[in-house]
Amino acid sequence: MTISASASGAAQGMTVVARTQGQMVRRRFFRHRAALIGMFAFGFVILLAFSSIGFGPIPGWWDKTYLTTGSLVNQGRPTLSVVPEFLGGEGIHLGEHPFGQDNIGIDYFALTMRGAQQSIIVAFIVAIVATSVGTLAGAFAGYFRKKTESFIMRLTDVMITIPILIIAAIVGRTFGDSGIVILAICIGLVTWPMLGRLVRGEFLSLREKEFVEAARAVGTSASRIIFRHVLPNTVGVIIVSATLAVANAVLLESALSFLGVGVQPPDVSLGQLIDTYRSAMTTRPWLFWWPGVFIIAIALSINFIGDGLRDAFDPRQTRVRA
Amino acid sequence: MIAFIVRRLVTSFFVLLAATMVIFGLTSIAGDPLADLRELPGADGERRMADRIERMHLDDPVWLRYLNWLTGLFRGYLGVNRDGQDVGVMLGDALSATLQLVLAATVLAVVIGVCVGIISALRQYSSFDYGVTLAAFVCFSLPLFWVAVMLKQYIAISFNDWLRDPAIPPTVIVVLALIAGLIWAAIAIGDRKVKLIAFGAGAAITAVILTLLSVTGWFADPGIGLIGLAILAGGTAVGLSMLISGLQYRGPLYAALAAAGLGVLLSEILTPVLADPSWAEIFGLALATVIICIALGYGLGGLLRQQAITGAVLTGLITGGLIFVDRLLQSFASYSDMVRGRPISTIGAGTPNFKGDFWQTNLDSAGHLLLPSMALVLISLATYTRYSRSSMLEVMNLDYVRTARAKGLPERTVITKHAFRNGMIPITTLMAVDFASVIGGAVVTENVFGWQGMGTLFTTGLQQVDPAPVMAFFIVSGTAIVVFNMLADIVYAYLDPRIRLS
Amino acid sequence: MTTSPKEILRVEDLTVEFPTEDGVVHAVRGVSYALHEREVLGIVGESGSGKSVSSLAVMGLLPRGARVHGKILYRGDDVLKLPTRRRRALRGGKIAMIFQDPMTALNPVHTIGDQLAEAVLAHGLIPRKQALARAKEMLDLVGIPQAEQRLRSYPHEFSGGMRQRAMIAMAVINNPDVIIADEPTTALDVTVQAQILEKLLEVKDAVNAAIVLITHDLGVVAGIAHRVLVMYAGKPVEIGDTDSVFYRPRMPYTAGLLGSMPSLETSGGRLRPIGGAPPSLINLPPGCPFSPRCPLADATCTAEEPALGEAGEGGHLAACHHWRAVAEAPDPTALFHIESEAVS
Ligand SMILES: Nc1ncnc2c1ncn2[C@@H]1O[C@H](COP(=O)(O)OP(=O)(O)O)[C@@H](O)[C@H]1O
Ligand code: SF4
Ligand SMILES: [Mg+2]
Repeated sequence: MTISASASGAAQGMTVVARTQGQMVRRRFFRHRAALIGMFAFGFVILLAFSSIGFGPIPGWWDKTYLTTGSLVNQGRPTLSVVPEFLGGEGIHLGEHPFGQDNIGIDYFALTMRGAQQSIIVAFIVAIVATSVGTLAGAFAGYFRKKTESFIMRLTDVMITIPILIIAAIVGRTFGDSGIVILAICIGLVTWPMLGRLVRGEFLSLREKEFVEAARAVGTSASRIIFRHVLPNTVGVIIVSATLAVANAVLLESALSFLGVGVQPPDVSLGQLIDTYRSAMTTRPWLFWWPGVFIIAIALSINFIGDGLRDAFDPRQTRVRA
Repeated sequence: MIAFIVRRLVTSFFVLLAATMVIFGLTSIAGDPLADLRELPGADGERRMADRIERMHLDDPVWLRYLNWLTGLFRGYLGVNRDGQDVGVMLGDALSATLQLVLAATVLAVVIGVCVGIISALRQYSSFDYGVTLAAFVCFSLPLFWVAVMLKQYIAISFNDWLRDPAIPPTVIVVLALIAGLIWAAIAIGDRKVKLIAFGAGAAITAVILTLLSVTGWFADPGIGLIGLAILAGGTAVGLSMLISGLQYRGPLYAALAAAGLGVLLSEILTPVLADPSWAEIFGLALATVIICIALGYGLGGLLRQQAITGAVLTGLITGGLIFVDRLLQSFASYSDMVRGRPISTIGAGTPNFKGDFWQTNLDSAGHLLLPSMALVLISLATYTRYSRSSMLEVMNLDYVRTARAKGLPERTVITKHAFRNGMIPITTLMAVDFASVIGGAVVTENVFGWQGMGTLFTTGLQQVDPAPVMAFFIVSGTAIVVFNMLADIVYAYLDPRIRLS
Repeated sequence: MTTSPKEILRVEDLTVEFPTEDGVVHAVRGVSYALHEREVLGIVGESGSGKSVSSLAVMGLLPRGARVHGKILYRGDDVLKLPTRRRRALRGGKIAMIFQDPMTALNPVHTIGDQLAEAVLAHGLIPRKQALARAKEMLDLVGIPQAEQRLRSYPHEFSGGMRQRAMIAMAVINNPDVIIADEPTTALDVTVQAQILEKLLEVKDAVNAAIVLITHDLGVVAGIAHRVLVMYAGKPVEIGDTDSVFYRPRMPYTAGLLGSMPSLETSGGRLRPIGGAPPSLINLPPGCPFSPRCPLADATCTAEEPALGEAGEGGHLAACHHWRAVAEAPDPTALFHIESEAVS
């Protein structure tokens, strides 16, 4: 006894929404000012880190490397100046060593850039591994239930009892010497449980939905249901957590390296730089400032991007603007 | 309930057992436990290597060493570290320092974070909300160790230097007053005029207080004083009554005011008791406070007895807390002398061989706790703020909150009775998760501040490929996490009657 | 209507707008009606036509940021101008509301008794015992068995129908003059819908209240309402005595609603739904908002929005340029196509 705005009308509405879902997400994201700033800032950091000193065989535009020592100029103080002359400063220029030099004369800009490169690489690998494993585990647990679920959930129980930093530190101590890629993969392999639980939760609510029932009723295979029907609907949650996982991984890696159980020499990372020059803190504070600033810049910009994505995928709370 | 706890404990036991296996195994293969001895030349090195191999059973396979450790554990023996020191003894000293740190940080983060988050939600899209959101994002993105080093380097050392001559420069007063004014204006609701008034009031009050504190040299010999105590306790009573029952009802207000007044009065009468009490006495006093306040609420509450009791008890406890802080502050000057004028400590969990009365000893712990917990709080604070904000926002839009308003309940009741309790339900789950990360954070913080706590046990053990201390750390922290999780579940069930613990 | 009963609620030219990121939503665009003592006024319209928003505006329960204009007169006082405290006293005191979804309208963490007693205590300080006694009395009134024990139950221990009864009890606990029931039966099982509706009327008589009965289902108001207001796209498009509106609709939309209602009397049991969907409330096209879906639409309709005007005797008003054509049609519902034809 209801006034259906006619079934066909509703159906039309549905298809329109489906076609423009991606566009709507994109539009909402690009309206999120903080997320845009975050994206530009992060893009800038990546560009700077990889183009300045080059990467692998590709040379960069910065004329010093992070390996060559040199004579100390002005006790290794930063030569970067951003105060223009008419304001009583030294004018805007980079100088010989914009970020200063360390105690054996290595150009600290080159070193910081190298650290940023490796920190970013580690963070991305950690996030990708953790997201993939977490998604798969969560998807299987959420879809199959019963034995599979209880096995995966008990596994995450065990992992969650151990603080992430602790398990990562133990893994880092074991694999730190094997290079940053192995290290990052191993850290990723122990940090997935939270994400796994999140995805499982999404799956649990989705698997009761009609379209999954329908797919099951016509005999679609389990893997097809998981990958074709359910997973695409959790994509928002996964993308958002993956983004935030990158930010967390940057922080985690730097904390591990600071504790001496992360990236090991000859590799450098931002956290490791801070650890290395910790004792120089009082005499050469810039050795401490620059890597810190870059860690914060990277983590902050990624967090903003993540927030923008969350709003874009789930706009519930931004309806009325007073 | 009992069944739930027992079942939880049994599963938790097996979960922990599995985790010890993982950690023991990984730690044992994390490197070469003899690395430092291999460089020693000659027979001495070889003898010490043989010693260590025997002590750590390095000739046995890892699983046998694990079983060995496990049987020891069930007999209450935590083993020895690679140099033969008893880990149980090492743990004893480390434990209380770390637990203090972790608990202080968690409690502070929850209380402050939830309050800020709720205000932020209630003032959605205000400049306060935007400010808090931005600050939370910055906190999320701060590396803990970096913050800790910064605090140590800049706050502690400069603050101690400043304490020698604790005058606040006028420019600093102006800047702080302006900031305070902006915060007031951001929280105030209303048109531009209201905001301007709030700004002016906030800035003026802050400026006056800071100037007073500066010219009287308050920071050199701080204290709240009887008048300050009376004002703060009275304010607490009025504020709480406003929140709990509304000021138009006399009963609860009088009960709270009576609790405050009695507290202030007793702080004078009890001076001899408070000169050098023990913790037992403090707890006794707290208990007495609760009982007296219940009586006050019961007697004066009238028709709003329940609210009156809540208000009176809270007021009484807060007044007691204020008296405690006042006493602590009063012994600040003497304490400061005892530590040669550097009360904010940057190293260790306590001044070595410190001897003082109750207040001085506690001040010593507080001085050592201050910076590490500040660093630790900063990280969880952002999490709690964000979660309670979004949780409150979500709840405030729910149908039953609308129903509560439709009944004609005042907004105060709608928020405290209907929205708050529901909004806190997801926070309990968050607490369980966050507690683990605070323990992880404590490892980093202890490292920076040179505490001989459990974190050190862990980091050194890990560096030296020495499982016994690492396992001791994990047994304690893992148990703490499990217990905390269970508490969170119990609180959850208490808050949400739909959940039955069984 | 023999002696004209006193008017208690009058809404005049009420408009509600929501500024959103996508533009201003014109949710209610000039609603006026009057409610008399003990009267039942039905408000009918498709979902999204502004029924709930206009009643929430009367209650003062719209979210912050909503812009409300017009007049809402309760016994002559404009409630929009009342100070907060008096407005609050009215809410739940003299004007009460029942919501659509009883599953979410009760707070899950407090007992039923507590939530009922609280409604009493919000409007007068009496001992809690008395408030609970009143709550029990109300649960008895709405037909919840073992009321005494039920006071201590939590909402999740109640069925949907029982929760809606509890909501009704909560609404009448302070003897209101006006009960606004926003789709009180929509979320319920068909089997209990009639019981709840009956209970609502019974309780209304017990406390001598008037009811604004909101529904998207004409069948609900048919046997109950004295007068009916039909809303479309935030506007009243037809208002009149229930019989006039049902048997002599003057507006194609109302006719469409009647045609899409399964009943034996109209259109021989075949459904004649209205094709298309309601317009966006952000960018309303000029002219009659119904014109894209209206079988009678012509150039006048798309050019000019019709005003609500006299369209029959007994205060029957309609907003349609061609209401005479509707009036002359032997069966206005036949203006719309039968279901199978409607799929275009
Ligand atoms: N808080 C809000 N913000 C923006 N739009 C709203 C809000 N609440 C309601 N609306 C819009 O107002 C219109 C009328 O809604 P409503 O009164 O709930 O319709 P109904 O007639 O189904 O009760 C809808 O289009 C809805 O989307
Ligand atoms: S005014 Fe025109 S379009 Fe609107 S209802 Fe009447 S006939 Fe239809
Ligand atoms: Mg509605």
